[in-house]
Amino acid sequence: MNPIALTWVLVGKDLKIEYRSRQAYLTTVFFALLILVIFNFAFDPGSPATREAAPGILWVALLFPGIIRLNRSFQVEMEEGTLYGLILSPADRGVLFLGKFLANWFLLIVVDLLVLLAFVIVYNFSFSVQLLWIALLIVLSALGFSAVGTLLGAMVSTIRTREVMLPVLLFPIILPIILPAVNGTQEILLAQEIQSLGRSVELLVAFDVIYLAAGFVLFDYVVAD
Amino acid sequence: MPDPSVPLLRLSKVTKRFGVIRAVWNVDLEVSQGDSLAIFGPNGAGKTTLLRIIASLTQPTSGEIEFAFKGDNQSRNRVGYVSHLSLLYNELTGFENLLFYARLYDIQEAHDRAAEMLAKMGLEGARNQRTGEYSRGMKQRLTLARALLHEPQLLLLDEPYTGLDQHGSRLFTEVLRGLKQEGRTILLVTHNLGEGLELCDRVMIQNRGELVFQARGEHLDKSGFEKLYFQAVEEGGER
Repeated sequence: MNPIALTWVLVGKDLKIEYRSRQAYLTTVFFALLILVIFNFAFDPGSPATREAAPGILWVALLFPGIIRLNRSFQVEMEEGTLYGLILSPADRGVLFLGKFLANWFLLIVVDLLVLLAFVIVYNFSFSVQLLWIALLIVLSALGFSAVGTLLGAMVSTIRTREVMLPVLLFPIILPIILPAVNGTQEILLAQEIQSLGRSVELLVAFDVIYLAAGFVLFDYVVAD
Repeated sequence: MPDPSVPLLRLSKVTKRFGVIRAVWNVDLEVSQGDSLAIFGPNGAGKTTLLRIIASLTQPTSGEIEFAFKGDNQSRNRVGYVSHLSLLYNELTGFENLLFYARLYDIQEAHDRAAEMLAKMGLEGARNQRTGEYSRGMKQRLTLARALLHEPQLLLLDEPYTGLDQHGSRLFTEVLRGLKQEGRTILLVTHNLGEGLELCDRVMIQNRGELVFQARGEHLDKSGFEKLYFQAVEEGGER
């Protein structure tokens, strides 16, 4: 089977499992909504301080639930040892990574866009074309997040403290994508004029390429033992 | 096809350490085409680690492993692995699981092959049932079907009887006996002496990582093997 077809077989398998279980998906969305609501109570609604903190709050609500998604992704593979089933197969390990990464990326984007929708409602921002720019930042940051998360998720999948280890390892590594994403969001939501958004997008794309290439190459070593 | 004069699998001085723990120690082993070999040993003897090394799920600390079939992908294509974990997705049906693995192994006519293996294991009736709803015995038969999808030359079985009731064990043994008659090479790791002796022509005992005893079926007094086993394990324990 050619690598592209095999990648889609792997993606299809993960999406089917996620659709049928739904449990982790709902938990992830609910956790994100909870973060938005709690922060909304913590600040005075409608105050300038809340609006200024809003971009940060949005990214907290996007990143922490994302960890649940990544943990779930490899939890499924460890329940019955299916990760070993994948590793034992003659399929190229880079392709195994791509399949897992694409499924994680897709599922993360869906959750993140729902969170963005809830954010606009809870924090009383208007629905405008500018939200499409935030959606772009979300899609790009979710790519890097999923690439590093898939690699690290495989790495910590066999250890007992994986739920804790994954964020501890992941967040420092993805700082280069969190910072431009938050800065870009701040500019879109708060600035009178958009000037440096292009720079944030460039940074995100550059780090996405690096993380994706690293994941593709290193996955073989990560699962080798 | 491998050269019959060359062993299908050869391990030379294979050792695996986890920190200070010696899981597998200095193991020399040859397995020929058509062999059925049982490795017995108590818990923690290193049997599973040895099998994982052969399956290339873990790398040995030292020593060499040679397959008659060359190349990493070749060996992965020629080895089937069954463990006490099913390696099946609970949310997928029996058929979907087999179809997924058939595609992973690039098997032509994947649909037909998956259906054929379900029928062979007597699971046609449960084709569209999620494997999470299977009984332990059904799941283990499906596991075997998964391991045999790509017609491996070497079948590795790690404690395959774990959790099976008597009926399930008997069914499973019948399937394995059929495979043995087909001439498949079987390497079974278990602490269930009865099942292992019934099925295999060669037996070995592993204790504290080392292979401390080996014999061929024709030279083996099966009725006295239990005594011999405990003797070998206790002697190993005193080292």
